[in-house]
Amino acid sequence: MNTLRLRIVSPDRVVLETEAQSVRIQGIDGSFGVLANHAPLMTATMPGPLQYVDVQGQRHELLVTDGFVEVRDNVVTIAAEEGAYAHEIDVAEARAAEKAARDLLANRAALAAEDVVKAEDQLRRALVRQVVGQRTGSSIDR
Amino acid sequence: MANIKELRGRIKSVTNIAKITKAMEMVASMKLRKVQNRALASRPYTEELQGLIGSLAEHVGDDVERPLFRRRAVKSIGILLITSDRGLCGAYNANVTAQVTRLRDALAAERKDVALKFYVIGRKGYTWLGRRGYHVERFYSEPTLENLDFATARLAAKDLVQAFEDGDVDEVRLMFTAFRTVARFEPRNDPFLPVTTELGWFGGGPNPAEQGKARMTGNYLLEPDPETIFERIVPKYLETVIFDGMLSSLASEMASRRMAMKGATDAASRMGKDLKRIYNRARQESITKEMLEIIGGAAAVS
Repeated sequence: MNTLRLRIVSPDRVVLETEAQSVRIQGIDGSFGVLANHAPLMTATMPGPLQYVDVQGQRHELLVTDGFVEVRDNVVTIAAEEGAYAHEIDVAEARAAEKAARDLLANRAALAAEDVVKAEDQLRRALVRQVVGQRTGSSIDR
Repeated sequence: MANIKELRGRIKSVTNIAKITKAMEMVASMKLRKVQNRALASRPYTEELQGLIGSLAEHVGDDVERPLFRRRAVKSIGILLITSDRGLCGAYNANVTAQVTRLRDALAAERKDVALKFYVIGRKGYTWLGRRGYHVERFYSEPTLENLDFATARLAAKDLVQAFEDGDVDEVRLMFTAFRTVARFEPRNDPFLPVTTELGWFGGGPNPAEQGKARMTGNYLLEPDPETIFERIVPKYLETVIFDGMLSSLASEMASRRMAMKGATDAASRMGKDLKRIYNRARQESITKEMLEIIGGAAAVS
């Protein structure tokens, strides 16, 4: 079977480096999948869950914040500001962040355009964290 | 004898100092290892971004408006100065701040009226600038440099890019210390903005543009288009440059402190040895004198 190499790197660490059958990524233009022998590709990612199927056919899920994807020679490299396994995510903290962002957005008229974007960004991050964090069933155990 | 007592006190204080400096040396040495590990851990990310930017540079046309790349007449320079929070690290801080003096002198020599605006990481640099009446735009004191994280680098990058875009500064430079080996660090004064192709491969890595060229074999699919990706990647890339500079400076600081403390420990133990010798001689002398007195006294009695 053809496999590809999946690498996720963040400023703090190499989050993941493994062989995979397929990878599903939240790209800037929507979700897309990568299989072995994919054409060279470069694009940006959105904060969201990243799924991959390992060589045993097991599905795994991680959180990846905004970053970049490069596919080349059967290597998928994702350079993101943060990558985290579901069990590493503090769901309670994400909830608090969501609430803070919603409070900010509640009176968006009072906010500068820039701050609205920032708050929306924070809200999206918080929501994604919760989604991934709660799906511990499909997370990696290690 | 007063002299002997005094010597004993001095020996004691010198050995105590040696103990303290020895401990500080070991602490610095441990922290250095920690920083090196962090630098190592962040390297794959940095390299990936540098590679991507190098590859992209080929694909992005010159016709695109890229404000961060444009040079303009320089009326004010923004400087990100990275020093340590604490002293006792040899000439480390003096070497960095010397870059400031050098730049100022160079500008004065050319009779250029250029304002210097400082963005500072590290308390030593902040007080140094304050004493000399420089204008500090922003001082990043939290979190401390020792607990540095990527968020600080991101914040600093954002501030600098903002200042550059708003026209507050026409050029941004990084003054930090490049970590070459554990015994060699180099104070740097590197251009940061406008972005140049020769920017940022501390530690002597390959030029990102060159690296990118080597990788660009075959055609890439670029989604949605090269310009969009490029625009998103440049700020991220600048963050990594600052983060690298911070890690590099911190490693240099620790290595520098370790060297300074080792020197102090060696000097203290040498001094202790000398004092001990003088002390022993004085002690022996007094014993001999006493014995002579006793013998003399005994001879007189018999």
